Amino acid sequence: MAAVTAPADTGTTTPAGATATPAGRRRRRRGPSARDRRDYLVFIALAGPNLVLIALFTYRPLFENIYYSTLNWTLGATTATSVGLANYREFFTSPDAASILTTTAVFTVATVGGSMVLGLMVALVLNRRVRGVGFARAAVFSPFVLSGVGVGLVWLFIFDPVVGVIGALLRAVGRTSPEWFNDPTLTLVMVIIVYVWKNLGYVAVIYLAGLQSINKDLLEAAAIDGAGPRRTFFSIVLPLLSPTTFFVLLTSILNSLQAFDLLRIMNPLGRGTNTLIYEAYLQAFAGSNRVGYSATISTVLFGLLVVLTIVQLVLLERRVHYR
Amino acid sequence: MTAVLTPATADQPPPRPRPLSRTNLVATITTGYVPLVLATLVVVLPLVWMVLASFKTSSELLTQRLDVLPSSFAPTNYTTAADRVPFGRLFLNSLVVTAVGSAIKVVLAIMTAYALVFVRFPFKKVVFGLVLATLMVPPQVSVVPNYVLIVGLGGANTYWGIILPGLATGFGTFLLRQQFMSLPASIIEAAELDGAGHWRRMTQIVVPISTPAIATVALVNIVFEWNEYLWPLVIVTDPDMMTLPVGLTLLTNSENGADSYGILMAATVMVVLPVLLVFAAFQRYIVAGLTQGAVKD
Amino acid sequence: MSQYPFRPAPLSGVGLDRRRFLSLAGLGLSAAALAACSGGPDTSGAGASAATDDTDWSTVRPAAAITFWSSNPGASQAVTQQLIDAYNASQSETKVTLVTAGANYEEIAQKFQTAQAGGGLPDVTIFSDVWWFRYYMQKTIIPLDGLAEAVDMDLGDYRDQFVADYQYEGAQWAIPWARSTPIFYYNKDHWSKAGLEDRAPETWQEFEEWAPKLLAAGTGVQAAFQLPALAGYAGWTFQNNLWGWGGGWGSPDDFDVRCDATESIAALQFLQDAVYKGGWAGVASNSAPNDLTAAAVSATISSTGDLVGIQKSATFPVGAGFLPGGPAETSPVCMTGGAGMGIPKDIPKENQLAAAKFIKFMTEPENAVTFSAATGYIPVRKSADVSQLTATNPLLQIAIDQLEVTRTQDRARVFFPGADQAMANSCANILTQQADVAGEMSALKAALTTIYDRDVKPNL
Repeated sequence: MAAVTAPADTGTTTPAGATATPAGRRRRRRGPSARDRRDYLVFIALAGPNLVLIALFTYRPLFENIYYSTLNWTLGATTATSVGLANYREFFTSPDAASILTTTAVFTVATVGGSMVLGLMVALVLNRRVRGVGFARAAVFSPFVLSGVGVGLVWLFIFDPVVGVIGALLRAVGRTSPEWFNDPTLTLVMVIIVYVWKNLGYVAVIYLAGLQSINKDLLEAAAIDGAGPRRTFFSIVLPLLSPTTFFVLLTSILNSLQAFDLLRIMNPLGRGTNTLIYEAYLQAFAGSNRVGYSATISTVLFGLLVVLTIVQLVLLERRVHYR
Repeated sequence: MTAVLTPATADQPPPRPRPLSRTNLVATITTGYVPLVLATLVVVLPLVWMVLASFKTSSELLTQRLDVLPSSFAPTNYTTAADRVPFGRLFLNSLVVTAVGSAIKVVLAIMTAYALVFVRFPFKKVVFGLVLATLMVPPQVSVVPNYVLIVGLGGANTYWGIILPGLATGFGTFLLRQQFMSLPASIIEAAELDGAGHWRRMTQIVVPISTPAIATVALVNIVFEWNEYLWPLVIVTDPDMMTLPVGLTLLTNSENGADSYGILMAATVMVVLPVLLVFAAFQRYIVAGLTQGAVKD
Repeated sequence: MSQYPFRPAPLSGVGLDRRRFLSLAGLGLSAAALAACSGGPDTSGAGASAATDDTDWSTVRPAAAITFWSSNPGASQAVTQQLIDAYNASQSETKVTLVTAGANYEEIAQKFQTAQAGGGLPDVTIFSDVWWFRYYMQKTIIPLDGLAEAVDMDLGDYRDQFVADYQYEGAQWAIPWARSTPIFYYNKDHWSKAGLEDRAPETWQEFEEWAPKLLAAGTGVQAAFQLPALAGYAGWTFQNNLWGWGGGWGSPDDFDVRCDATESIAALQFLQDAVYKGGWAGVASNSAPNDLTAAAVSATISSTGDLVGIQKSATFPVGAGFLPGGPAETSPVCMTGGAGMGIPKDIPKENQLAAAKFIKFMTEPENAVTFSAATGYIPVRKSADVSQLTATNPLLQIAIDQLEVTRTQDRARVFFPGADQAMANSCANILTQQADVAGEMSALKAALTTIYDRDVKPNL
């Protein structure tokens, strides 16, 4: 392992092997060699189709959306007026902005933190080779397979204070059910619980795949060296999982910030659970049908996602331990 | 926490208890089964509740009492759901869309991730950033522009119209890039020394040793394609072309009241089952892969 | 596969060749060019002209195939399909296809609006009471008077209250379809245990006197009365309370906002007191009819569309009656609701004509009865023979009788886009957070006024 270095990561890194000669540096100054150029073509051939699709179906809509955010445009109307940055001014000066951003932050931190810690613990448990573990893996993964609508409906009947099972259990011991749906704070707690439950399987499966690629010799060596379970986990397993952790963290944050179906089914009014993406939906479809303003909110969300991702790439990926 | 620490492949003999000794049994139960059962229960109980609900009548569901079991396990709700919704046709559509869509996505992800990690190209970080950005654009944002484009190309009510806009893959590319970057460079170098081209290096070295990650990508893609709702709802108007989640809206109108809840749960169970079967088939690849012929350098 | 995977092999070709790559790139380019002329709005300022219908329909031939978009309210998919099959069998001119276009009114609106941008519009679509006026303002639906005349649709035989709901500027913008009113539901067992007369209360004051008896009757209820789940219901059903006290969100005849009037505040204060002071009313978490069915409450107000479901699931005899009046007004204090059918503007005349013929068929008296029997919605035709319906379900007669005392909804609710959402939020603050009623109502007035100035007034 010690001999292993990071594979070619940036375009200018000299790949290992036959071409790894001092000539590499000189060649760069003279521009790409024929061999480089052939690699460029290979790159374009391999990544090109995906990039074209991304440009067409992600970037084009994104830029159109940014354009819409500068319009005063009602859904379905054939005309709109250009208003410059007025929508952005309105959002950032609106009395709701602070609470929407706070709700978004609380929901994201709680769901990402919760599902990552629990997901990793579950993955460790599922990584054992014991009888029945296959069933357990499928079981843990199954909530992730359910659609957001399905999950919402299941939990509605669990949390409902009147006909729900939690309420019935509490009544059986002489308590009354909390007002999960009518108290905005409890509503937020409730959707966080359900979201973590749903996404635990996703985190667990990705960690499971990551755990599988850890070289068992290392663990054995650590065991022989007398490292306890706790130390082995924190000083060997966790560092080796860092590429997975980085991936899970980034994707979980992005997914959580875009969580929608569940919120709509469990709390259509959005009181207490009004995140950026939900507000964008409300403005476009449940509220005043202001597509321009809705586009503004989703552009703000996109900007937030970009900033968060860049911060993670810059601050965290440097510390990620690729072999 | 101690779970990973039992080596799965024990070539060297560190002192370990004999297979059926009492200490081994106790250890297996406390460190293996207890957490396993606990974790499974927490996740599974709500699902069990869902399955039980799918057998209940509306009077059994709408009660303040704590009735765990339905009065009968007759699949009334299942047959009603199947009567109301043309499951066969919807299932076929979902199958086609999911199989084709996720297969192409996996291939695209492998190619892109390989290019990003192993092929020389300037500004690869920038390209990677551009790919990552696909994860940041909320799907609601792209509905109208993509609708206009796809309808303009004649893709309304077609399989390709449902599949195409979702093919751009940031998730799979990202996950596989992470995986490929953790591969030991030495084996790639060895391959290059032996004169293997990129295609060969990708298909015969990188892909086989990355099976767990690729299976994970496939699985997550399958789940997403299977559950995709908003886009198929918008692009399809021909009932014969609807996918399962869209077809299920036949049952889910919010004004339908509670008497349809058991039916809805039955339908939800029916939709989840196929993907769980796929998972059962895939999980051995996710988990097996590297443990057997662990990559040595 | 699991073995050490690398085996030296001869060099092979590299991926895609250049020609193939170029053709791929070309595809991307042409598609990008196509995208440039996409379905965004026109910002040139040249607004669409007002929708006036001066078509001579007698020269138009109906289209051979049309689509009908529905969200299937009230589990109506099966009966709708049955009626469509009957229509397709009855004539050979036009074939109709039913499209499930969403799970609720918002989703169907979302799909309809998306189709506005890129084509693929339906020929007939349903929309709720709070949606059709937005389409009118956006000029995306057509007035139906000319078409009704052309296809001999007898608008005079549709129930006046339902028809009036879709009139604006002297034109008819939709035809009633899945229409409902709220009714007062109660648990007859609880009523008799509390020693109450077997009827709904005449007024809210009367019910306030009954409530303690219901709570003391030993039925184990959590509340004597359950206020409906606020999302989607507060703005609608609380009009009953507002009107009973002589107030309202606004008015049925103009665009005034009256939610902060003394009478309106008093009406909502009564509800807040019922929850917090009297302790006899609760607020449903998800569904008030569910709570009634579970016998957790003794009474509630909900749509006639819930009637069949409640009767089917409840383990006790269900009673029903008119909505209670208030101190100022005892009649009319009931509103109507539900969905109508409309025809989009940007489709060929042939399709519009075929659509009108189809709508006429679907709302013919006997078909209206068939639809009602399956869903619990009210037959929309005066000449519909409801004797069969009310014989099988006497409670439906109450819903039909109550139609005589319905009142057109306040414009501030049904004509202001997003007003319903704002009203539900204000009511939630009042009824679940015990917020100051007057304060909430003046905030609501400000919000509604903004909506009017920004989204309604410029489009009239």
